[in-house]
Amino acid sequence: MISTGISGVDDMLGGGIPRGSRVLYSMEPGADGQLFIVSTFLSALERKIPSLVILPNTTVEAFLHDAAAMHGRAIDLSSQTIVFMDAVDRERIQRAGKTAVAREQAWQARIRKVCSEKQVEVIFAYFDLLYEDCGLKKGLTLLVTAIKGPKPTIILEHLNLEGKSLLDRFIREFSFDLVITIQSAFPPIPQFSFFTIAHTSWAKVTKRAIPFIISGGKIVPYIPRIVVTGPAGSGKSSFVTSASDEGHSIDRQGADGDITTVVMDFGNLHGKDFDITLYGTPGHTRFDPLIPSLLHHAMGVVVVIDATKPETFPRARDLIGLMAKQWMPIVIAANKHDLPGAEDEKAIRSSLGVPGDTPFFFISALQKTDTHRVLESMVDRITQFSF
Amino acid sequence: MYSYKTGIPQIDDVCGGFDAGTNILILAPPMSYADILAYALIKPHEGEYAIVLSTNERAAEVVDAFRLSGADKRFIGVIDAITKSSTPTIADTQRLVFVSSPTDLTGIGIKFSNMIETIFEGEFSEGEAGLFPPPIRFCVNSISTLLMYRRLEVLYQFLHVLTAKLKKIEGVGIYLLNSESFDDKTLSMIKQLMNCVIEVKIENNTSYLRVQGIRGVSSEWLKFSVVKGQVTTLP
Repeated sequence: MISTGISGVDDMLGGGIPRGSRVLYSMEPGADGQLFIVSTFLSALERKIPSLVILPNTTVEAFLHDAAAMHGRAIDLSSQTIVFMDAVDRERIQRAGKTAVAREQAWQARIRKVCSEKQVEVIFAYFDLLYEDCGLKKGLTLLVTAIKGPKPTIILEHLNLEGKSLLDRFIREFSFDLVITIQSAFPPIPQFSFFTIAHTSWAKVTKRAIPFIISGGKIVPYIPRIVVTGPAGSGKSSFVTSASDEGHSIDRQGADGDITTVVMDFGNLHGKDFDITLYGTPGHTRFDPLIPSLLHHAMGVVVVIDATKPETFPRARDLIGLMAKQWMPIVIAANKHDLPGAEDEKAIRSSLGVPGDTPFFFISALQKTDTHRVLESMVDRITQFSF
Repeated sequence: MYSYKTGIPQIDDVCGGFDAGTNILILAPPMSYADILAYALIKPHEGEYAIVLSTNERAAEVVDAFRLSGADKRFIGVIDAITKSSTPTIADTQRLVFVSSPTDLTGIGIKFSNMIETIFEGEFSEGEAGLFPPPIRFCVNSISTLLMYRRLEVLYQFLHVLTAKLKKIEGVGIYLLNSESFDDKTLSMIKQLMNCVIEVKIENNTSYLRVQGIRGVSSEWLKFSVVKGQVTTLP
């Protein structure tokens, strides 16, 4: 396997990219996703996989400078496993070849020579200009036939100005094994970027858009909102606080002396290679009108219940009903299972009316490891869920 | 709807300027000083911003041209597609960003989007007026250069995205194209993306312009000059 260099994506792909695969990072104009191919390139570099990088629209020096700026540190080429063809090579080829056929042949000869000399296993290419110079079929053929012997791994970045029809051609006509599209929203909507695993030939991945941020020179998949809900006093605030790297709770002491959440809990954490934001709802019914707005843009719901208080289960059941209408993944976290009087899973599932395929965890909301187990399951649900 | 003043009375007096979301092609022969006209039309007024995609001169030269016209450089951003080929390690600043070459449409698209985002977030410069949406004048100082490097069909698709984004943010776009270097098909395709065309010509050392595509504005040839970033039409 070759790592994409993006841990969350590797997990979704079952560990990375199988050798011999054809991979396309398809960029929408304006989407800030150049770090995708750079991350994969850096991963190959780190593992000393002999690679050719074709950069027809820039020079090696400019590419390395930009890649270092994106990555946040200098690129170490001392392993001498990487060879480049850049804009200077393209210019020579353009000048030498008087006809399109002659230029294609020059490209082919040069790529084959480099691949043979350096025993290249992976070809990275910024494909736009190869596509323009040679056309789609011939441009791809240059790369596919570059290495004699085992099938080369080909990893392309391409500015897709043609939309879905071009993606279909890559997948159907040219048997690409992995197509990841990178898109972004544009002002006046706040700009955010997202990627979609549009196709894989080896992993069963639900096609869906996943937001990402760039942090510390890395692509970090981002879940903008997981809602934590449940009856009052079930331990939602403890869950959010315990799970979060940082968080806040807006609480007030009730007439009975208990502390209760009156607006919401809020927390951030990094888990399972995702950046995640948690929103905890108040548990009292009088706050129910707030819940739809908290569910807006949510990607999943954790329902926290107190396993020792079966009298609160009908309320939890109502909340689950409310969530189910939103059609999003749900995970049940049964808190305080270590205390006397805790109900068993079968009884709780029955009372809540949740089916057997809904993930269920006994937890102590005070234990970070427990809350993280729940959220890891939630991330898996989110990345596989058909929204 | 916001109107972008042009300084040309024949436009401003009739309709208050360019409507937000207008994309304008300046079609001009070489050495007609059309770039000076383009820069005058995108010189930012108070509360506005200007972004230049420079495919034929360095960012420093663009900024200098605006400085000479009396524009406040704090509100001018440049996407420079020239400098990096000779200075590969040049680093971006808040308002001056660099792409490897005019062939790099991916880089141009990203830098354009990021600069727009910075403006919308109010982080572009000090002393921002806070108008929303922020009025942005955008200029490609030569589509001709882009056409030298990329196929017409590719560039058409790319400009289609760019002009649509300008419309969405209610900006105004000015695109310079050499009228003598390209065939009718090319001119016709590029015109399809525009709302308005300003033609420029020079006769007997006098510059003329004529505006087509703005309702109520005469399409007669007008003598004009540009002094310190101000367009003046002459009798």
